[in-house]
Amino acid sequence: MENVLSILFCLSLFYVVVTSRVKAYVTVLRFQGIILSVLLVIPFIYNFSIFGIILPATLLLVKVFLIPGYINKVILDLDIKRRIEPPIQQMIFLPLVIATMIIVFLASSILSKITELDVIPFASGFSAIIIGIYLIIFRRKLIIHVCGFLILENGIFLFGTAVASELPMMIELGTLLDIFVVVFLMGIALNRIRGTFAGFEATHLGRLKD
Amino acid sequence: MGLTFLQGIISIIVIMALAPLFAGMVNKQKAILTGRIGAPVLQPYYELIRLFKKETINAGTSSFISRISPLINLVSMIVAAAMLPVGFWKPIISFNGDIILFAYILGLARFFQILAAMDIGSSFEGMGAAREATFALFAEPIFFFTIGSISFISGYNSLFDIYHSIQLNNVSYEVFIIVCSISVFMLAVTECSRMPVDDPNTHLELTMIHEVMILDNSGIDLFLYQYSSYIKLFIYALLEISFFYPFSQKSNSVGILIFITGSVALTFVLGIVETITSRYRMKNIPQYLLFATAIGILNLLIYTFTK
Repeated sequence: MENVLSILFCLSLFYVVVTSRVKAYVTVLRFQGIILSVLLVIPFIYNFSIFGIILPATLLLVKVFLIPGYINKVILDLDIKRRIEPPIQQMIFLPLVIATMIIVFLASSILSKITELDVIPFASGFSAIIIGIYLIIFRRKLIIHVCGFLILENGIFLFGTAVASELPMMIELGTLLDIFVVVFLMGIALNRIRGTFAGFEATHLGRLKD
Repeated sequence: MGLTFLQGIISIIVIMALAPLFAGMVNKQKAILTGRIGAPVLQPYYELIRLFKKETINAGTSSFISRISPLINLVSMIVAAAMLPVGFWKPIISFNGDIILFAYILGLARFFQILAAMDIGSSFEGMGAAREATFALFAEPIFFFTIGSISFISGYNSLFDIYHSIQLNNVSYEVFIIVCSISVFMLAVTECSRMPVDDPNTHLELTMIHEVMILDNSGIDLFLYQYSSYIKLFIYALLEISFFYPFSQKSNSVGILIFITGSVALTFVLGIVETITSRYRMKNIPQYLLFATAIGILNLLIYTFTK
């Protein structure tokens, strides 16, 4: 079942690479949030405990409702353009991502011979981390940088579930709080940038002086 | 042996007879979803009969290529149809490695159609031929990565064996079927020039891909082209439906039932997709096709490294 969810996660990564609508990024974030919550619930289906439900429920609340809702609100409030103009051709970006994934899968299958890990969730999480970084590098819009960061974080989460079967709950809750605060701060920063520059693209920030 | 052969013959006849009905049902669904009454479900048959009665006129500049191409098209489609299983019946042509023949027999049909389009000498048809060739280039990897990965996993390389070796013992196979059927659906949409890639209803030359190539054909030639495009749509539909045979026990009646319900469900899906999506811009189409290829590669990756 973890494998199935990880494959769906990979498909959402492909979608995020080819789409050129800002709204689609938010939808993908929601989708990934649901996948991660389901992934956390699975071990508790057979031995139910109230502590086991707290983390998935918080994850669902933060990653599916609060953060995407907040990003949507930022997009609406700041009147950000609905389409992105990538500086790199999508046709080049997608093969790059595929090549990266091949390397990641190869690397994790080699790793799995040395240590104990599930190849598919591990490799999917790893690719999500790299694709998150790619999104930050290859996209100009600042709001997409936030989305790239969140995808990276989702990747770390999936990566973590592949390596350790059970994560300490307090650490996870702490990370979630961090993420939420970071996104909140980014929203405020975007609001401030709007006062100085007309657009929301990273190229404008190149004109800043020390 | 005799019974298997008979079943193979019957499946070809079923495919050839039901292909226009399938196209008609898709059109009807589309019309209903957009709030129109729409043409009757049997409309493609009427159109074929009308075309059959008309006189064939060839362009003055055209050579023998234009005359043989429609026939080659239809024959290739029938040969391709003879390789696909209907229900649990073994198809007539089934041998090791027939997936390659299947891909290239369809490639042959496309090749002759492109050649015939350029043979006529009209600039519009040349443009359509160029587009068809370009998009076919991107569509071919989808087929090989998807069907190839199934063949790789099952260890067989004949369409019939591949489809009937898929077992639903573990969950991975189920997701694998879902993922593969997504990419085959995208392949079908591209190859049959349906909505997100090409609009079958438009008659503005600048936006057409497939339809523009048969602008100058008439009468029997057009009949052959139309009929082969209906069969092609149905072939790809079968390729998609065949993924769902393993969900049943291996009994013939259930196989036939899945064949029927699968076709009807697929017309519904095609109708919905064509209603809610608009045609992509030409420059975005390769990206769409590459996405499907990426799904195929993902399949291959997963099953290479998890064995």
